[in-house]
Amino acid sequence: MWWLIVREMHRMTARPLYFFCMVIAPLFCYIFFTTLMNSGLPTNLPVGVVDMDNTSTTRNIIRNLDAFQQTEITSHYKDITEARKAMQRGEIYAFYYIPEGTTEKTLASRQPRVSFYTNGSYLIAGSLLYKDLRTMSELASGAVEQQVLYAKGATERQAMGYIQPIVIQAHPLNNPWLNYSVYLCNTILPGILMLLIFIVTIYSIGSEVKENTAHVWMRIAHNNLNMALAGKLLPQTVIFFIMATAYNSYLYGFLHFPCNSGILPILTASLLLVIASQSFGIFLYGLFPTLRYALSAASLWGVISFSISGFTFPVMAMHPSLQAISVLFPLRHYFLIYVDQALNGYPLSYSWHSYMALLIFALLPLFIMKRLHNAVLYYRYIP
Amino acid sequence: MKQNRKFTIFKQSILDIFYVWSKEFHTIIKDQGVMIFFILVPLAYPLIYAFIYTNETVHEVPVVVVDESHSARSREFIRMVDATADVHIMSYAADIEEAKEIMKCKKAYGCIYIPSEFNQLIAEGEQVEVSIFSDMSGLLYYKALLSACTDVSLEMNKEIKIQRMGNTTNRQDEVSSHPIEYTYVTLFNPQNGFGSFLIPAVLMLIIQQTLLLGIGLSAGTAREKNSFRELAPINRHYQGTFRIVLGKSLVYLMIYAVMAAYITCIVPRIFSMVQIADIKTLFGFMLPYLTACIFFAMTTSIFIRNRETCMLIFVFTSIPLLFISGISWPGASIPAFWKVFSWIFPSTFGINGFVHINNMGATLDEVIPEYRALWIQTGVYFITTCIVYRYQIWRSNKIK
Repeated sequence: MWWLIVREMHRMTARPLYFFCMVIAPLFCYIFFTTLMNSGLPTNLPVGVVDMDNTSTTRNIIRNLDAFQQTEITSHYKDITEARKAMQRGEIYAFYYIPEGTTEKTLASRQPRVSFYTNGSYLIAGSLLYKDLRTMSELASGAVEQQVLYAKGATERQAMGYIQPIVIQAHPLNNPWLNYSVYLCNTILPGILMLLIFIVTIYSIGSEVKENTAHVWMRIAHNNLNMALAGKLLPQTVIFFIMATAYNSYLYGFLHFPCNSGILPILTASLLLVIASQSFGIFLYGLFPTLRYALSAASLWGVISFSISGFTFPVMAMHPSLQAISVLFPLRHYFLIYVDQALNGYPLSYSWHSYMALLIFALLPLFIMKRLHNAVLYYRYIP
Repeated sequence: MKQNRKFTIFKQSILDIFYVWSKEFHTIIKDQGVMIFFILVPLAYPLIYAFIYTNETVHEVPVVVVDESHSARSREFIRMVDATADVHIMSYAADIEEAKEIMKCKKAYGCIYIPSEFNQLIAEGEQVEVSIFSDMSGLLYYKALLSACTDVSLEMNKEIKIQRMGNTTNRQDEVSSHPIEYTYVTLFNPQNGFGSFLIPAVLMLIIQQTLLLGIGLSAGTAREKNSFRELAPINRHYQGTFRIVLGKSLVYLMIYAVMAAYITCIVPRIFSMVQIADIKTLFGFMLPYLTACIFFAMTTSIFIRNRETCMLIFVFTSIPLLFISGISWPGASIPAFWKVFSWIFPSTFGINGFVHINNMGATLDEVIPEYRALWIQTGVYFITTCIVYRYQIWRSNKIK
């Protein structure tokens, strides 16, 4: 066993590829995603204005709009066509249109109509701006009413009760800042690690067959595949778990992302994810004992994980067949654990089945041991 | 005489290009691995992704209600929320604790709390707060719940105002409840769909990533097979660097002309996504994108020493590349450093340009920055490819 581990260490240090995939690539992604979404919620998104009226009232509306956190008025256009073209060029994500005579009509109680256009092709920017622009439109309308009411002698409290009898108070639980980094990084980072574990596991087994060293490997393990695999993959388990601990301490310790369950449940989940991913890698290689096919399958599974685990687009809204398939992806279970534990801080009893699911992934290699044994001993490398 | 000699050289180089071209073509056809990346993956992946996001938005998010008001008005509020497309009232809870329990079991992803003084305060002309609590495991739940409740509250506000006003005509009602009206248009993605926004980016990325993988794989294989483990085999036809690079890239361009046509024209049609591209603009734009991707892939293939290495190095980059393109995370909020970093990759410009053309009906005039950037990349990566190949040939000659 000891010799197997030493041998594996030598193999790993001999090729910079391992260092790249196990340490550099995950670290790069940790830093990349967290610094990319550093601001949490995008602020000062460029918005255009088409102000055909150009009175002090409309200018006031525009100034107020500019003061919103997400909105930044970057340019004025002389008509809608120009604004639309600017949007097509990608210079602005939305524009606000105030037609001529708006002020005059307001004063004469003739109900003018303003409008705003957001770019749905950039969904996040579009919907953030939608919120601001809509609030502003409501406020603009309200401001007129407010002035009338004040003139009639109403207090502010009375005026607000009149203008907006019902207000909605939103409480986004455990992520009150609507921080996108919290929302995405907590699943993307383990996802990247999982993908790399799939690939590295398969590569390190497959390269033995490829380089015709499999018999040496098996001889050291006294022809015992379990021992051979353990000796080969344990050092990797350790390194990958260190990398998993690294993102956990970075996210929850350094960046102070919500971790309402304490670190232990999520660290356990990370360890299980590492082991489940390694086992899944072994399983795939046993299933497709050709290095290239196994790697392709792992890539497919790994990349699809990001979509099907449901952290961006909810699984609930997917086709029923996909909802069923989603349980076959380790990242899905990790995501469920993260939501229940770190994000919401529910008791462990609510997520035991997700932990169990990851454990089942860890048992997968048992089903293909025999096939894998044959593959390692007798298969020739197929390019 | 001199003219004649020039002509012979020219003729020879054209012949060489075609020799390299046909050689490379045959190697690719015979190599199942490359064929998977060049044909199967571009054919299948778009379908998988389009299928995942085929429903576009979340509808009927299950929500639990705590109604402490028990009034006709609070029930009306709840009924109206239930009637929206986004939210489904799945249950009523006696108090917040019970609602929390329901949310913990994942039976509901949100909670609406109507306070006991709801009706009374409205009757007194005071402002009343309705609280909504949303599970933040998905932002779409929050968005659905918030927009449904906001819509309903505005609608009810209007009714309440009109009741109090005691106006005489309908028109008066309208004007006084909303002195300034507004309309809202989501351009280019009318249903605010998730798929319509993400899939065009994924499509472009698939082109670049499969080229990286395919070309990397064949370069890795070439290195393994060649006794000198080098990229460009030594042969009379393989002397001019230009000829090798042009001959090889021509093969890739030929295959990808077909694949790109499928990805950009047919896939959006199958899943009836937004597709308002002008076909000439689209083709004009895809040409520099493909060439930039091909030369980029040929340059990076220098790092690939073994056949399978490309999958270890390139696959995971898809996720960061998708984010850095500025589609999901708005480009305006990307830190300057990453912005500049993103200019290395053709996908950044390809994705933005394609989205502008395909989803937003832009013409080449409107995508000039992206279009120009892609041609610059084509030029730069063509030169680096030549340098890389030259270096390879020099190395293999030296070893010999």
